[in-house]
Formats: sequence, C-alpha cells, structure tokens
Amino acid sequence: MADHSAEEMAPTPGERITGFFKRKDVARTTILFVAWTTLFIVLGLVFYPKWMPIVMSKEMKSAESIMIWFTVISAPIAGIVLAVTTNAFLDMHRGDTPPPDGPAIRTNGPIVAIWTIGSLLFALVAIVWGLLEVNSQAVAAGNDAKSAITIEVTGAQWLWTFKYPAQGIETHDLNLPVGVPVVFNVKSADVNHSFWPVQLGVKIDANAQVTTVTRTTPTMIGPIEVKCAELCGLYHAYMETNGAVMSKTDFNAWVVAQGGHTS
Amino acid sequence: MSILDKPKVSSRSIPNPKKSLITRLHMGTGTVVGIIFAALTYYGLKSIYVTYTDKVADPMTTHNNNIILLGAMFAWSVGFLVGIGAFIGPWRWLIGKDLTDEEILYMAGDGQGKKRYFKYCTDHKVVGLQYLVGVMTLLGVGGMMAMMIRTNLARPGAHFVTPTVYNSLVGLHGITMIIAMIIVATGPFGNYIMPIMIGAYDMAFPRLNALSWWVLFTAIPVLCSAWFLGGIPTGWTAYAPLSIQAGPGMNAFLATIIIFAVSTAVAGMNVTTTVVAMRTKGMKWNRVPIFVIGSTISVALAIPAFPTFMAAMVMTSLDRTFNTGFFDANMGGSGWLYSNLFWIMGHPEVYVILIPGVAILMEMAPVFVRKPLFSYNAAILGFAGIAGLSILVWAHHMYMAGWSPALNGPFMVTTEMISIPTGLLFLVLIGTLWRGKPWMKLPMLSIMAFIWDFLIGGVTGIYLSDVPADSYLHGSMFVTAHFHFTLMGAALTGAIGGLAYWYPKMTGRMLNERAGYISFWLVQIGFNVIFFGMFMVGAEGQPRRVVDYAALYKNSNMVSTVGAYSVGIGMIILLWAVIHSWTKGVVAPMNPWGAKTLEWTVPYPVPLTNFDELPIITSDPYGYGKGK
Repeated sequence: MADHSAEEMAPTPGERITGFFKRKDVARTTILFVAWTTLFIVLGLVFYPKWMPIVMSKEMKSAESIMIWFTVISAPIAGIVLAVTTNAFLDMHRGDTPPPDGPAIRTNGPIVAIWTIGSLLFALVAIVWGLLEVNSQAVAAGNDAKSAITIEVTGAQWLWTFKYPAQGIETHDLNLPVGVPVVFNVKSADVNHSFWPVQLGVKIDANAQVTTVTRTTPTMIGPIEVKCAELCGLYHAYMETNGAVMSKTDFNAWVVAQGGHTS
Repeated sequence: MSILDKPKVSSRSIPNPKKSLITRLHMGTGTVVGIIFAALTYYGLKSIYVTYTDKVADPMTTHNNNIILLGAMFAWSVGFLVGIGAFIGPWRWLIGKDLTDEEILYMAGDGQGKKRYFKYCTDHKVVGLQYLVGVMTLLGVGGMMAMMIRTNLARPGAHFVTPTVYNSLVGLHGITMIIAMIIVATGPFGNYIMPIMIGAYDMAFPRLNALSWWVLFTAIPVLCSAWFLGGIPTGWTAYAPLSIQAGPGMNAFLATIIIFAVSTAVAGMNVTTTVVAMRTKGMKWNRVPIFVIGSTISVALAIPAFPTFMAAMVMTSLDRTFNTGFFDANMGGSGWLYSNLFWIMGHPEVYVILIPGVAILMEMAPVFVRKPLFSYNAAILGFAGIAGLSILVWAHHMYMAGWSPALNGPFMVTTEMISIPTGLLFLVLIGTLWRGKPWMKLPMLSIMAFIWDFLIGGVTGIYLSDVPADSYLHGSMFVTAHFHFTLMGAALTGAIGGLAYWYPKMTGRMLNERAGYISFWLVQIGFNVIFFGMFMVGAEGQPRRVVDYAALYKNSNMVSTVGAYSVGIGMIILLWAVIHSWTKGVVAPMNPWGAKTLEWTVPYPVPLTNFDELPIITSDPYGYGKGK
C-alpha cells in the first residue's frame, strides 16, 4: 500500500522538468539568461558593423565577421554567467550580520562535466574557424601570386614610402587598383614599425634588415588610411598617410602622372 | 630551526641587543649609504669611461654614459641594502659569529612599535604592510600618469603634453602599473595573511622576505629617475631596436626591471617554499584555502617566467653599453629575439597578475554567500590549466610581427585553449553564488564586478586570439581596452575586495563602508566607461600609444576621459578611506565576517609568531551551508 502511493506521487520526467523551471530561482535565471544572451547578440550584430571602418577587402570582412560571430556564439555562455550573477544580486542580503547559510552544494559532477565539454566545444569552434580563415588566406595568396602587383613598403621614423617596382614609381601615398591582388613587402630603415592600411584589415611589422610580407585584394573603391601600429618613437602618432583604392583606369592614369609606366 | 619556530615567545621580555649594529640601521642609513655607493660608482666610472658633453650624439659618449648611469643605479640598490643591514646575517654567518637569539628577535621587530616598518624587519606582517603601502604608492603614481594620458587625449591636437612626455607617460604608466599589479595581491596579502592562513609562525625564509621588499623598494627611486633622465620612448614593452636608440632615461627602465626581477625571484621562492613546507598539521593539499593555492601557482609561474625578462634587459643593457648587438639587425642581431624573450615572460606574467586576484575573490565568495566553494577541484584545475597553457602562448603577441607566419596557427590553438580553464573559474564563482543570498559587502560587490569585467575582457580576448581578427585589431586601442578589462578588472578588483576583506585583520579596524561603496561605484562605472570608449576607438581604427588622433575619434576619446576622472576620484576616496579608517575606523572584532580560515582565529595585533600553539586542521575552510 505504501509502495503504491509512493508510485503515484513520483513525478514523471516531464513533470520534473516543468517543476524545475517553475522554481522561482530557475524561472528568474532563465528569463535573465534570455535577456543577457539577446543583449550580447544584439551588441555583436550592431556594435562592430557600426564602429568598424567600411569593409574594403576580404581580409577586413573576415576580421569583422569573426568579431561579430564570436560575440554571438559566446553570448549564451556570457548569458548563463550573468544570469546567475544577476539572480544572486537580486537575492542580496543586507545588514551587519551574515545571511543564513545556503545549501551545502560542494560540487555537481554533471554540471562541471557539461560546462567543461561545452567550453571545449566553444574553443574548438573558435580554433577551427580561425584555422580555416588562415588557410583560405594562404591559399588565396598562392592563387593570386601571378596576377598580384608588388609594393615595396619602407617604414622610417616617421614616414611611409611605397615603391611600385613594376611601375617604376615611388610615392608616399598608397594607391591601389580595385580587384587586383596586392603583395606588400615591408621593411624598416630604423626601428620597428607596423604597416597598417586600416580599411584593408591587414597589418605587418616593419623590421630592419628583413622583409615581411602581407597581402590583400581591395574589393571596393574609396579612400584608405595607412597608420603605424607599433610605437616607434617621438612622432609615432603622426606616422600616417592617405591613399585610395581606385578603378584600374584611374590607377593607370595616376601611375603615368607619377612618371611611371603601366604594364 | 630558528628561534621563531619555538612557540610561546609572546611572554618573553623585549629584546635589546644594545651593542649590535642592527639596532642602528634603518631606511635612513640605507639611503645615505646607497647615495654614497651611487656617487662613488658614478665618479669612479666617469674617470674610466670618458664622455664628452659636446658630443652627446657620439656613439662612444652615448655608450659610456649608459655604463656610468647603469653602474650608479645598481650601486644605489646594493648600497641601500648594505646600509639597511641586509647583509649582516650572511656576513656574521660567514665569519662564524651567527646572530644571537636576541638579535634575531630584534630583527623580527619584537616590541619596536612603528619603528620596525622602516627597518630590515623579518616579520611577515610588517613586510605585508610595507608591500601594501608600496603598492598604494605605485598605484597612485601610475594612476596620476593615467590621468595625464587621458587629459591629453580628451580632445585631438595634443594640447596638454609634448610627444616626448606623452611617450614617457605611456611607458612609465605601463611599467609602474605592471609592477604594482604583480605585487598587488601576493605582496600585501601573500605576506601578511597567507602564513597565518596556513598555520605557520612566519615565512620559510624571513630574512629573504625582508630582502624581497627592500630590493623592490630600491627599484622605485630608480624608476622615478627615468623622468629626470629624459623619459622612455618605448612603452613598457621596450622593444628593440627602439630601446637601443633611446636616450639615458632607458637605463632607469632597464635597471628597474633587473632589480625587480631579483625581488620577485626571491619572493616567489620564499612563498612557494613556505606553502609547500610549512602548512600546519592536517592541512593536506585538498584543505588548503584557495587563495593560498592561487598565490602559490602565481608566484611559482613567475619563477620560470621572469628570468627571460631579466635576460632581455641585461642583453639590451649590453647592447646599449658595450655595443654587443644582440638585438641590432645591422650587427647580425634580431629584434625578434627581444620580442620572443619579452613575451615568453609577458604572457605568463599576465596570469601571474590575474590568478591571485581571482583567488582572493574565490576565497571570499563562500564567506559572503555562506555556501561552500563550488567545485574546489575545478578552481585548482582552472588555475593550474591557465598556468600550464600560459607558457605556450607567448607568440600570439607576435602574430603581426612577421617573425614566423607559419607559427600563427599553432599559437592560435594554444591561446584559444585557455578559454577552457578560464571557463572553470567562472563556473566556480557562479556555482558558489547559485541559490545563495549574497551578503552585499564590498568584497561581494567586487566578486560581481569581476564577473562582468572579466567576461568582457575574456570575450574580446577571443577575437584577439584569432589571427584574422588580430590582423585588424593588433596595436589598436582595442587591445588596450581588452587588457585593462582583464588586468584591472580581475587583479585590481580582486585586490580592492581583498583589502576590504582583510583590512580588519591588518589594521584592527573596519574600512569605512560608505566611502568604500562610493569609491566602488565611481571606480567600476568609470572603468567601464573608459574602456568601452576605448573599444569604440579601437574598432574604429585608432592605434595605441598615440599622442594625437584624427577628429573622427574625438567623441569616444572624450567619453574615455570622463570615465578616467570618475575612476581617479573614486580611487582618491578609497585612499582617504584606507588612511582615515586606519586610525579612526570602528574597532574590528576578531572575525567580523564569520569566516573559517585560520587568520580569523588570531587576535589583533597579531602576535609575533601568530600562534602560541599551531592549530590542527581537520577539514577545508568551506564548511558552510545546511543540508546534504
């Protein structure tokens, strides 16, 4: 008889789950979780497109999408952490005596396991994503090698110089034809600098005596800025110049105007 | 076994070894002897290494000038230590006349009141308070430089300082704060609280403990001298070859790091030995308070990491003095060698800073939620995992250096792996908060602030660890904002929480609560405002360390500056609270928070040997809660 009533009282798995979510702390944490996660997703989707410069190359696109989508996929994790914290904050105890003791939960095996495996999976997504991007950029570099134009970039305290060997010109403005892959061979005449054509989303340090390489393909016509991203002494802040991505016709006209020749 | 290991010394008479030299030495004699050593070295070297004032740009004059300045700086440090009596013990041991018991007790500061804070005092509690004052001084100086940086950046045009001064401000703010953050938790609390927490009479090597503090102390005037020698143009990273090209102020930076590295090596060894060897009976590894575990992992991580920094500084010094060309590409050296040595220290170093801060917060969480620490094992694995991985990630600072593009992939893998142990740290804290009723005192507020700040720091760190995103973000203000969210958000927030928590034990009085709350909100809100502004300008494309910027960035920069003033005011209020409460605060009971760790079982003032009889431990200190 006693057994029979116990069987009747035992909740089904479905009831246990709904019962769990009806608990005040769980219900509130769930709502907070949804709110925080949504906030982070919105932040990711809105903040970076709004604040980052206009995307003018595939590399810049890839930087921006990593920032957006990593925010979005980390949103649920941030959501859990902040939901539990906010829930605890709402249950705060004030006054000069300690609160009553809470439940003596020392650990919870399944939760620790799920959390660890979850963060492992999260790390794997980030790693695989990054490796694929790096790989696709390397593959693109190989494919574009023949059609690319080469620019010899020299950083000196506190001036950028761009030499276009095939065109036979040397300038302090960085002008590029749209849709043509470009390879930057970068070196320094003195201390370390870092070559940063901002809107193209690539960057590489300039070192004395060695040449470093970066590449990109501009995808859009418009003005670009070149900055130095490595502290290089007194006028580091002013070591910047302008340039533009232009149509091939405009680029060729500019090359000729500089006294160079088009191929 | 020293006399301090014998119990019941509190009933002895006050030691008074009248004839001993140690009674006459203090900070003043140290300073005098230090200055004499420095002056003798300066003029001695000047007579050997010729310099011409009319040929300051001449390489020989430059090199010789560097030799003279570096020599004088190291001589100051050694002279100060001689003058304060740091070498009396080893010397007496060498000549076979070891210190008497009375002298040893005198050196421990027994019965000397405030005087002992200015002497070579071996009592870990004195050293802890010396570190506390030292940290607050460094934070004050570093903070003032931060305010000057933000004032200059309030609007475009560099109206406030010149580029030379600005570059120096950036570099000296950086290194001052890095030093302050490295010692902010393990210095004051690691020295004062930790030995009591593990049930020890003192540290394992009390004289080395005093040595670590006073060596560090000698580095402070050396660092300040950089201002009088023309500043440093390199930022705290001191990249070569810019550091080799730099003027005489650079010597101050190099000497500071070398001296500081000695101090941390000594302190790291001492803390590690103490925790390994001097835990009281019954304190097995799975009963050690988490703050002790965190501090030990942090200082143990510093032991292998800092020597490479020291080596890099020694090599830079040699390049600047004897023209050795380690980092000069024109002489067959390599700037990349410097960057590697620097970051092999540099990345473990950020976790040396972070781990003790988080460990303090974990120590306090159970006390203020009245629940056991959630998954103590996950906490340990989190710290150990971070420490282990941190030595394999250094070149993520060099993705864009062009040093070895093929290594970018592997370093991206190790770097992103760090999010796994870091995730465990969050789990421990939110697990402890779950179903608790947190007691909203300052330590609890710090825990919650940390969770928010470090989450932002962590998520933005994930983009930076990814090579294609870093190729845009590297070297921008975005990076500056990211690492302030992690370092300031974790280490400083943790340390301020720890200060509020342990203040009653260290001073016998409660920290003024109202001032503490006002300061907390001004600092936390201001901090978030500053660095959200900086995330914006970084995303927009403003490089780091620039004295001036384009009009495009002006609004976000103004936002950051407003936030900076809020933090500045908040920190001044905190400083006032610390100073005021020290003498005028409410007298604290022995255990104001009802905590279960051993430091709350001793009275204030804490007796010289902490315990008359060492306690015996039968469980970990987290036995809160009901049920189960």
